[in-house]
Amino acid sequence: MPVEVSNFIKDNPLNIKVFALASQELSNEDEFFVVIKNSIINEILGILFIVGAIFIAFSKEKNEDEYITQMRLESLVWATYLNYAILILAMLFVYNFAFLWVMVFNMFTILLFFIIRFNWKIYKSKKQVADEKLS
Amino acid sequence: MKNYLKVERARNNLTQAQLAEMVNVSRQTINAIELGKYNLSIILALKIAYVFGKSVEEVFELEDSDWEK
Repeated sequence: MPVEVSNFIKDNPLNIKVFALASQELSNEDEFFVVIKNSIINEILGILFIVGAIFIAFSKEKNEDEYITQMRLESLVWATYLNYAILILAMLFVYNFAFLWVMVFNMFTILLFFIIRFNWKIYKSKKQVADEKLS
Repeated sequence: MKNYLKVERARNNLTQAQLAEMVNVSRQTINAIELGKYNLSIILALKIAYVFGKSVEEVFELEDSDWEK
């Protein structure tokens, strides 16, 4: 890690004491139920993303009805399949520290895939209705 | 499943949007049902038949392919 970055992580005001159920630093022993010092930027960003994405993904549409509910459930199943298909491919073809990034992104991709696919489906059904109006 | 939504709408002089509003769903839903893209719920089928003053079987009809697994 570049020096500026590691200094920033050590010195920034969000580097605070936190309670850890479990903690293990590289080359150290496992520790349980300890208080450690940790930069909480990644925790904040991660939680903000997940909560935000859940709001986007699961708020009711303005005109939510049974058809939209079915598209929602289908999209959720589809996103789960796609997410694990990609994860299996990544397990086969990505190794060592590169795989760490796969795991980091994989925490969020299932919601992302769901949101994209669900909104695409809604867009397509709206377009279908609009096209019919013209003809 | 075959449906006679389009015929019944024409007979009652209703647009997709008007029918959608009467049974409280979106226009996309009525459109998808008409195109056979969506298997609607029993409740919605009953509501649509009620609006047309018909029984459900007069608006929706089984096809041979529905019997195949």
